[in-house]
Amino acid sequence: MQENYLAKWLNNELSDEELAAFKQTEEYASYEKIARTSEALSPPSFDMDRALADLRERKGSEVRVVRMRPRRYLMQIAAAITVLIAASVFYISTLDETFSAAYAQRTEVVLPDASEVILNAGSELSFSERNWEKERKLTLEGEAFFKVAKGEKFTVRTDVGSVSVLGTQFNVKSRNGYFEVTCYEGLVSVDHKGRQMKLPAGSSFLVINGEVKDVQAPMTTEPTWVNDESSFRSIPLSFVLKEFERQFNVRVETQNVDLSELFTGSFSNTNMNLALQSISTPSQISFTLEGNKVLFYGDKTP
Amino acid sequence: MDNVCEEQVFNSIFRAHSKTIFNYIYYKYGNEEKAYDAVQEAFVKLWENCAKVIPEKAKAFVYKVANNLYLNVLKAEKVRLKYAEKAPKNPNAESPEFLMEEKQFKEKLDRALDSLPENQRTVFLLNRIDGKKYTEIAEMEGVSVKAIEKRMHLALKTLREQIDGI
Repeated sequence: MQENYLAKWLNNELSDEELAAFKQTEEYASYEKIARTSEALSPPSFDMDRALADLRERKGSEVRVVRMRPRRYLMQIAAAITVLIAASVFYISTLDETFSAAYAQRTEVVLPDASEVILNAGSELSFSERNWEKERKLTLEGEAFFKVAKGEKFTVRTDVGSVSVLGTQFNVKSRNGYFEVTCYEGLVSVDHKGRQMKLPAGSSFLVINGEVKDVQAPMTTEPTWVNDESSFRSIPLSFVLKEFERQFNVRVETQNVDLSELFTGSFSNTNMNLALQSISTPSQISFTLEGNKVLFYGDKTP
Repeated sequence: MDNVCEEQVFNSIFRAHSKTIFNYIYYKYGNEEKAYDAVQEAFVKLWENCAKVIPEKAKAFVYKVANNLYLNVLKAEKVRLKYAEKAPKNPNAESPEFLMEEKQFKEKLDRALDSLPENQRTVFLLNRIDGKKYTEIAEMEGVSVKAIEKRMHLALKTLREQIDGI
């Protein structure tokens, strides 16, 4: 008998001989009866019309869902945009307010507490208007003169150190390798590399290239630059020339000039010719002016 | 060309295959409600994908969906199939003894069918009740015709042994 002959038998695939032999077996009667009886079985009735009606209902709801989709999509976009706007409004409100003075410029700023700040050329000042009520804190790059209104602690942070006052007038100059604080009124606290110093009115604190220098007290009630004059007392020539660059927005080049030589004196911030004379004469150097470029050179020029 | 998304085409596919799917799932799991739901599920899926399924593939598609629906969920359940009562063809011609014997035999067969492995029972009943050809059942189950013949053979053999009390 071939493989799966019972399956073949039900499917009428047995050969005549095989069928005859199968019929001879004693099980045949039972198989025949099973085949016959099982054929007469019927599963629970299936109501096709009801099923189709149910399906139509579900199909309808599916179709509605499909139609909703673009709208849901739009809602998602709208929600995302709302979140974005809220986030950016919040972000912008926390952004610092920034003022700056370009080269050859000066900017005067009145802070929310009526404190006044004058920014010298090539300086930038920023503070958080949001947090101003809580703490008067500013960040300074460059030089500025502060007339601070009385109130809570007023702090100016720079790369080198920070200056804190309650209410006073002081000047902070923070340039590359140069940090100078001068107090004109009241009392200023200077924080430099973890060390705190009290600066009473009429005194200065100066750091050049990381070295704290002794300086004489200023004679004036406000920095001279406020009145269009840059003054120096025993300051290396390199910093003087940098200041000159900032005040007149020109490029300075030097030849055979000892930049570490100390300079005492002042130059005008408005009259460049006069300023050039003021710098070159006491330093015994010469200069040539060419458009936007100034060349200072020593006598030993070949 | 015919499109499954067209109501008429869709309905004709439904009329042609919904009952077989119902029976198919019922033979497998012995649960009328699940069988009914499987039909719904299969055709809702077909409707959702009507643009992607060509009419020639619709049958295979609905069988596949129905088959996958309970694949891992209902396996463990013990089945107890019920069959609708069919009136005897000619009651007057048969003696009460004969009818009694027939009834007893049918009950034995029912029990034997319940205890068959699911895949054998499904194949056997699809062939006996629905008159499905082995090739068609092979397509539904996703196996070879030879495998279906094997199941069929084993089903008959087991049923006979159970009924004859071997």
